[in-house]
Amino acid sequence: MSTDIKLTRRGFIVKSISVLSTVYFIPDLFAPAQAAKPLHEEVKSDTKWAMSIDVDKCASGCTACVDACVEENGLYGFDRPETDSQWIRKLTIKDIKTDKVKVVPMLCQHCENPPCCDVCPTGASFRRVDGIVMVNQHTCIGCRYCMMACPFKARSFVHENLTEQVTTAPRGKGCVESCNFCVNRIDHGIPTTACEEACMKEGHKAISFGDLSDPNSRVNKALKIKQNRRLRADLSLKQRVTYSNI
Amino acid sequence: MYQLAIRLLLVIVFIISPDIYSHDGINHSIKGKSKADDAAQCVEPTELMQKEHFVFLYHQRDKTVINGVRTKNHSFANCIDCHVSYDEVGEPIPINSEGQFCQTCHVQTAVNIDCFSCHASVPRGRKPEAHISLNYNHLEDQVSQEIEKLVSYVEGVK
Repeated sequence: MSTDIKLTRRGFIVKSISVLSTVYFIPDLFAPAQAAKPLHEEVKSDTKWAMSIDVDKCASGCTACVDACVEENGLYGFDRPETDSQWIRKLTIKDIKTDKVKVVPMLCQHCENPPCCDVCPTGASFRRVDGIVMVNQHTCIGCRYCMMACPFKARSFVHENLTEQVTTAPRGKGCVESCNFCVNRIDHGIPTTACEEACMKEGHKAISFGDLSDPNSRVNKALKIKQNRRLRADLSLKQRVTYSNI
Repeated sequence: MYQLAIRLLLVIVFIISPDIYSHDGINHSIKGKSKADDAAQCVEPTELMQKEHFVFLYHQRDKTVINGVRTKNHSFANCIDCHVSYDEVGEPIPINSEGQFCQTCHVQTAVNIDCFSCHASVPRGRKPEAHISLNYNHLEDQVSQEIEKLVSYVEGVK
């Protein structure tokens, strides 16, 4: 009986090698879904962040994306809807000919030819090489030219002193701000924005975000399924946010 | 003679007193306890940090905002994370409030800082590191399922 369970020299070596190989080699076979940019590296132009929004899937009355954005970036307001900051908002649009009503999430369209950057007198409004249009609030003087130039009303101005900012999204009085594709998440290797994550969790899956140069990214898959179009294509701004079924 | 000696002594004490009261080598008496209290040294030598910390911050801020570099060493969020004091209940005390890390020196040197009109003066909100460990593959899976459904539907129609 005892000889049956006794570990032989041969058995010990075989078993230990198989256990070690499991521990060391098998994790390497499954590469992570998306490699994160190392923190010390600068962003490169071969990354092209983009978003595709399927308007038919966007549910009326649902504000999951807006709420997630507010929580992620600490965009609490003063109950003054006219002036409170909104980086993403829901619009209701109606076709004049058919009277068909649709709801559209509207955010910074991250144009490749951004009019906000053209008019900025200090260069605070800029386009990062990976395609994210954002405000450098250290050099923003609050003139609001960019807000007038933006055809989508995507930008907001902070009118009042703030105290409860979150660490990952500094913002303050006298500066213009807008959606930055959750740049802090992206730089830390998280390949999703707060609004996309919320929309997925809610089960609507209307928002797809990702890297255009990665053929397997969610945004590329969404672009393949349905034809997308840019809003106000006549302005040839080449937005990175596109809409389908609109 | 005795009075002269005392006067001389007072003059000497008066002259050397600025050295005694300078910050070098003397511990700050900041209310609360911070992570930095237990650290042997800051990210650079202490003397360098006292004189040049804003140079590091300016340099890093442009690299971060424009180029997306998010290294920890000279990051403003990391400064606050380490140097912010916590009271007895464990609540962080704003780092720019009276008697706290930033304010003690900046009051003495009469240099006004407006970092905290925009930046959070206590660690607040989600930590970026907390999300990295999470797996986002389920999002990919959901989209893949969607595509499969669509493909099977199209084939069914044919």
